[in-house]
Amino acid sequence: MSTLKSIAKRVLGSIPVLIGVVLVIFLILRILPGNAILSIMGEHANEETVAMVSAELGLDKPWYVQFWVYITGLLTGDMGTSIKYHRPVAELIGTYFPVTIKLSVAAALFAWIVGIVCGVISAMGKDKLADRLGMGFSLLGVSVPVFMTAMVLQFALAFKLKWLPIQGVNDGLLSYVLPAVALGWNSAGSVARLTRSTLLEVMASDYIDTARAKGRSVSGAVVFHALRNAMVPVITVMAIQISSLLSGAVITETIFSLPGIGRLAVDAINSRDVPLLQGSVIFATVLVILGNLIADCLYSVLDPRIRKEV
Amino acid sequence: MKKIITMLLALTMLLTVAAVPALADGEKVLNAAYIADISTMDVALTTNDYIVALNVFDRLYEVKVQPDGSTEIVPSLAESYEVSEDGLTYTFKLVEGVTFSNGNPLTASDVKYTFERLLTIPEGVNYDIALEFAGAEDLLNGDVDTLDSLAVNGDYEISMTLAAPNAGFVAELTSPAMSIVDEETCESVSGFGVDPADTIGSGPYIISEWAVNDHLTFTRNENYWGEQPDVDTCILHIVPDAGTQNLMFQSGELDIVDLDNLDASIIESTYQTIYADSIVSGPRVGVTFITMNENNEFLSDVNVRKAVQMAIDRQGIVDAFFAGNAHVENGMIAGGVWGHNDDLTPITYDPEGAKELLAKAGYEEGEITFEFSYDNSSGTTKQSIVQKIVQDLAAVGINAEFKSYEYSAWLDFRRTEEMPMFLGTWTMDFNDPANVLGTFFSPSTAGRSMNYANTAIAERVDAAKSIMDDDERMAEYQALEEAIVVEDAAVVPLYEEMHMYAIGERVESFIPHWAGYTDFYIRDVVMK
Repeated sequence: MSTLKSIAKRVLGSIPVLIGVVLVIFLILRILPGNAILSIMGEHANEETVAMVSAELGLDKPWYVQFWVYITGLLTGDMGTSIKYHRPVAELIGTYFPVTIKLSVAAALFAWIVGIVCGVISAMGKDKLADRLGMGFSLLGVSVPVFMTAMVLQFALAFKLKWLPIQGVNDGLLSYVLPAVALGWNSAGSVARLTRSTLLEVMASDYIDTARAKGRSVSGAVVFHALRNAMVPVITVMAIQISSLLSGAVITETIFSLPGIGRLAVDAINSRDVPLLQGSVIFATVLVILGNLIADCLYSVLDPRIRKEV
Repeated sequence: MKKIITMLLALTMLLTVAAVPALADGEKVLNAAYIADISTMDVALTTNDYIVALNVFDRLYEVKVQPDGSTEIVPSLAESYEVSEDGLTYTFKLVEGVTFSNGNPLTASDVKYTFERLLTIPEGVNYDIALEFAGAEDLLNGDVDTLDSLAVNGDYEISMTLAAPNAGFVAELTSPAMSIVDEETCESVSGFGVDPADTIGSGPYIISEWAVNDHLTFTRNENYWGEQPDVDTCILHIVPDAGTQNLMFQSGELDIVDLDNLDASIIESTYQTIYADSIVSGPRVGVTFITMNENNEFLSDVNVRKAVQMAIDRQGIVDAFFAGNAHVENGMIAGGVWGHNDDLTPITYDPEGAKELLAKAGYEEGEITFEFSYDNSSGTTKQSIVQKIVQDLAAVGINAEFKSYEYSAWLDFRRTEEMPMFLGTWTMDFNDPANVLGTFFSPSTAGRSMNYANTAIAERVDAAKSIMDDDERMAEYQALEEAIVVEDAAVVPLYEEMHMYAIGERVESFIPHWAGYTDFYIRDVVMK
């Protein structure tokens, strides 16, 4: 019950965060020069039309009125209408968030599974060849930027070897393989390095010696005793990685032409499409909050001491 | 374990098959790519995105590219017209038997509805041409409900009365903005311009799918009233990354790639060598130029403006950045536009003469300082050109400070009328000098930060479109161009470039849009 209360508290606590994020985006977009109407009309913009269309869209009202209209709309599920696409923002996000979710989940699975396995192998074979290979793989992941990884993988595996599609989502799950690897490699590197170091630390603990004395093999002691405790800091990093995976998705979606939320957000920034940008940011914020919430819950599952503290 | 792997593979294959659109055997499918998605399929709401307008809708008249590269205005939905003696009223006879893709007949009342809709639709932005109808201002302002100047005489005849004579009116009707829509559809559906099923036109293609930021699919309109095009289906992929477009073309996934989207280094190293025989180009009918704001304390002096003209090595720019795919333009009426003047007095590159002119006008070296505002969405080539111009100006003692802006911020600053100098390109909306001279040099063009001060010439520019005699009108436009560019030195025309594409092995021929737009007519593609 106390865990449920804690979760409810966290969910309620995230509402002011959301409002704050929307307010900051709102203000930033008003401080920056340029507006959506000019962006749409380009060379054909003239004073009268800009004024007329601004009035039709309610952009001529003071910012706090627009903000109030927006927030009250949100409460009824209305995220506004995209100025660029002339469609409800909720519809656009509803259509395109599955792409971002699939990409992020695939990238996270790659990052975390490969990262943890790599970290465990490295820790178990410390200073041996497997350790060096694993850490080489990790170092490459954390040091090469996402766009470079994406372009190299695209060129080698899709263009030259033709194993995977170059771009787009027309090839089902196969479409997500390269983008997920490109996006997840960086996180995999961090997870692998952290898993290795925390695991080595835990493996030096007395209770591992006890487990070994009771007859557990090295791998058994690692899997059944050490790994569970070593995972707590790793999960903290994984939760933080959710936001970096979302921001990295913008680049990956662009290079692999995936129609996801990241590209919608970039589109919205370039065209000063305030409702669309706000919608995309709220969506991303909710995902990050959810990610952190799940991480908090996992802590208590993994470590009973944290559960007691809650 | 084997079972699980087999099941996973089967699932992957199933998803793969399900996601690829089914195509009939022998179907001619054209794959092309855009760097960014369109914002709407409704031409009343955009002045930029014309791919749907060009292919799904028709206009009363069209521009046709001749085999020699010249252009001609040809009848489309209208088969003929007559003009009243005062030049104000045009009466069009429409082609009979034309239907929209949903089977509705296209009649004169659809034409009237279309032009009224441009002026009345909420958030409408594309009504510049429709404003020329008598009473259009009143309709725009909501003072009246209909345009009496558009008179429907039966199903196939409509007369249009203008507020002032305009000899280029028929040319204006070829603009994508004047695409004819179906009144019944627009009045009965909610998704016109957004939902492909609701976006009904009479053109050679139907828009069958629009997945935002992913692709648009055009399929042949089997009920098209004109000649059937060669391509059955065109898939326009939205591919925002230039490198990806390059790989797609080279691997055969794209049949046409717009070289505008690719890096100059890739074009030079790959396309002008390996794919040299596959390059198709057409003139970008328009001039790239530099503006000079006559409200600026230095640029208000004609001697300074003339010195700027003389200081810039325009041929050097063309040679350095375009490798033969552009030519120097002396005027604002580009080659390919009716009224272009090959005999316009050329601007000579003479840095020493520019220095003398500045000294004679009483300026010391380095005294003249102003900002050169650059729109950073213009691409790296234009950025390099601006930087070269800044160097050329520095060589004669003019200190132009390069400053880069994001596009919408750049437009915002330009609207203040304070921007001293910028690099601009004007691609023609319709083939008439009024489109470019009227846009930049008529009295009503404040907001472009140019502030052309010669009001007598500006008024003549406004009046020129009313001259009904073609020879007389052409002579007037050429005289005005000489006055604006040569005598007043209001602008520095730089060059007209070619719009280059590379076509893949499956494409037999492709004619780019006559004005060099990114948007193209799918019917101008023939596949093998």
